[in-house]
Amino acid sequence: MNTIAEHIADFLKKYPPFDNLSFQELSEIATSIRVINLEKHKLLFHINDILHDSFYVVASGVINLTVIADAEETLINKCVEGDVFGLRPFFAKNNYMMTAKAREESIIYAIPIATFRTFVTHNSNVLEYLLESFASNSSNPNEIENLHGKLVSDNIYYSDQKSEMQYFQSLSYNTTPLKITTSSIVQEVAQLMTNTITNSAIVCQNDLPIGIVTHTDMSTKIATGRYSISTTIDKIMTSPVVTIMENVSLAEAQLLMLKYNVTHLCVTNDGTDKSTVKGIISEHDLIVAQASNPGVLIKEIKRSKSAEDLKSIRKRLTELIQKSLHKNIPLSHINNIASEINLAIIKRSVELAILDLGSPPVRFVWLSIGSQGRKEQLLSTDQDSILIFEDVTPDKYRDVKDYFIKLAKRTTVSLENVGYELCPNGHIASNMLWCKSLTDWTKQYSNWINTPGENSNEISSIFFDLEIAFGEHKLEEAIQNVIFNNVKNNVLFFDFLGNDALRKNSPLTFFKNFNVEELGVNKDKFDIKTRALMPLIDAARLFSLSYSVKGVNNTYLRFKQLSIVDPRNSEIYLNCAEAFLTLSKFRTLEGLKNDSSGQFINLHELSKADKEHLKNAFAPMRELEELIKTKFKLTQFS
Amino acid sequence: MLDWLKNINKEYPEFWKTYLSKFEKKSNRYVVFTTETSGLSLEKDVILSIASFAVIDDRIVIADSFEIVIAQYKFFHDNGISNEFTIETKMKKLSEYEGIQAFVEYIGNSVLVGHHIDFDVEMINVALEKLECGRLKNEALDIDIMYRKLKDINNKQFSLDELCTIYKIPQSDRISSSDDAYKIALLFLKLKSRLGLN
Repeated sequence: MNTIAEHIADFLKKYPPFDNLSFQELSEIATSIRVINLEKHKLLFHINDILHDSFYVVASGVINLTVIADAEETLINKCVEGDVFGLRPFFAKNNYMMTAKAREESIIYAIPIATFRTFVTHNSNVLEYLLESFASNSSNPNEIENLHGKLVSDNIYYSDQKSEMQYFQSLSYNTTPLKITTSSIVQEVAQLMTNTITNSAIVCQNDLPIGIVTHTDMSTKIATGRYSISTTIDKIMTSPVVTIMENVSLAEAQLLMLKYNVTHLCVTNDGTDKSTVKGIISEHDLIVAQASNPGVLIKEIKRSKSAEDLKSIRKRLTELIQKSLHKNIPLSHINNIASEINLAIIKRSVELAILDLGSPPVRFVWLSIGSQGRKEQLLSTDQDSILIFEDVTPDKYRDVKDYFIKLAKRTTVSLENVGYELCPNGHIASNMLWCKSLTDWTKQYSNWINTPGENSNEISSIFFDLEIAFGEHKLEEAIQNVIFNNVKNNVLFFDFLGNDALRKNSPLTFFKNFNVEELGVNKDKFDIKTRALMPLIDAARLFSLSYSVKGVNNTYLRFKQLSIVDPRNSEIYLNCAEAFLTLSKFRTLEGLKNDSSGQFINLHELSKADKEHLKNAFAPMRELEELIKTKFKLTQFS
Repeated sequence: MLDWLKNINKEYPEFWKTYLSKFEKKSNRYVVFTTETSGLSLEKDVILSIASFAVIDDRIVIADSFEIVIAQYKFFHDNGISNEFTIETKMKKLSEYEGIQAFVEYIGNSVLVGHHIDFDVEMINVALEKLECGRLKNEALDIDIMYRKLKDINNKQFSLDELCTIYKIPQSDRISSSDDAYKIALLFLKLKSRLGLN
């Protein structure tokens, strides 16, 4: 055994399923490995490629696994260091169902199936793990359970495996339908259907589909007594059967079912009933395929019972965002969907807390502030919120406030469990300061607005981005009115806010290079949040307050709205709106790549074109700055 | 010129004849190798170890590797250097004769790849001369030259460490000729695909 094999064995030992194996076994595996280097965007295998004789482990870099749906690539999974993929040859014999492509330059270990198989048979943990990861790279949880049950209990995982997952543009369907002949007896068919737990059977003649029998036929024609259970199947079957080609999209399948008013579609080789049957698509398959649809997510949120449930939904939201970005859906749309789901999660958390604590003594409103308030929260960043309750008599005030603080604590803690970190500055409703009555809040806002910088050095401007998450709309309206009435012609306040917006350091240095971090863990990375996004967000807020643009909190929409209100500068605003989207996208992609908030961009990983793209997005900021200075008559010294 | 005449009737060792006969066919196998030597002089210094991996179909084949230490007891003794390293190593130990023979058998007609490979090949050739064999006939590729060709740089040489930094290959804490050979192999794969070689 050579030194490098030893290194590889050391590397593998850190990751499942290899951690279940002894070093001796690992050395043997490591010796048989072949090392592959994949340049960015190079393919390792493609859908319909013949299976390789090995599976793969990512040694460094990132590999995207995708399927093709309606001529569009859909991301199923991305594999990072230590991840195992390309397991298909273990479990199935037909060609690859997905494409593996390097997202960045990657080094891959190819482990020959033949070598590994011996270790799998002797180690059920390894087998289990492989099954799970094989399954997680598909999107169909049902099939997996089937596989699991069959494979583990029988322990013959490589013998003719008929049940397999079919990617079918994110639509997986039964590829082993029940086939019967025209002369079958109804009772026998019913028994077969019961045994195999299917609700349909295809009637074939010479292997060609000529009809179908479903539960509906059984109940309408047999159970009603119109035919006896000893008749032959051709009397009750529905014929002809609706057939389709293999490469039909989810939407198309749905349309066909509606058009023909059927619940099952028969998949055949060439899409006509003159070729062999390949499988059957049922309504249920369509529902399963839509599991990560935003509407379904919101429904599930409404039904969830605990923070744990919400957490898994939030995870699926991240996947949804990732997939949407890959499909190049406009970021503003993704933003809308994501924020609706985020809001639903917050709402549900408040509801769950109320269910625990009993109903509130007076009406109240839970407001999201900051990025949640602006509906710009794509990645799970921190939570910021405030709580306003109705005015009560002084003697009750204590009890009422106690209740709401308890409520807020519960809510924020469960949101923390879901994955939204608490705001590091304590801007959350469970904080005594930010959970108070309407009168107190009115005072608070007038203080901030009329004497800025007096009581506290920085008013957090995020308090001016409000979005109702739960509760009484009237309270929210009241506080919005307080804000807009107070800021009207308030020179001092705008002066303060304007300077605050200008204070942020510019994104580029004098020499048009990126202004990167000089110290700390993020050295040489670019802080896209404070240097590029914040100035835009601040400016958008500043202008919309000064032009009394109400009801729009989103930075992108604020700029759009401003271009209408202030048509003379509309070009600047529109450019800023676009720039904001571009920058947000950079941040989101970075965040998804590293599972972080995406605040710091690693410039080395950007391509030259991307860097230029990023730099161009800064261009409108200069004009915006000038606009702030002239509009609010700010000088350098104010 | 006369050397060639002299050689024509010379009787080579058996392994060398086999080696020469392999060149009738062209090989699709690359052998990435590096030698560790006692110094940089072709005359005075000797090879201490050889490490090598085969690359077939753009894949480093870990099993197809070659890793030996050459026991240079006489050299160490003559120069008064401690030979602890040779004694302690767990790698396969061979005498120079056996080692070079095994290496020649291992490489066959493959294309050789290395970093500043001229020197490595020369060192092997010097050793081969002692065994009364000819010079290596294999084609040789140098990753430094490959890199310079890719970037069109003529006035500078790049060390193995520099190339590793450029292509973000992590430095391992263990320094051995095997590690170097592995790094060279990775660099070779990267450069090969960038240069579009088949």
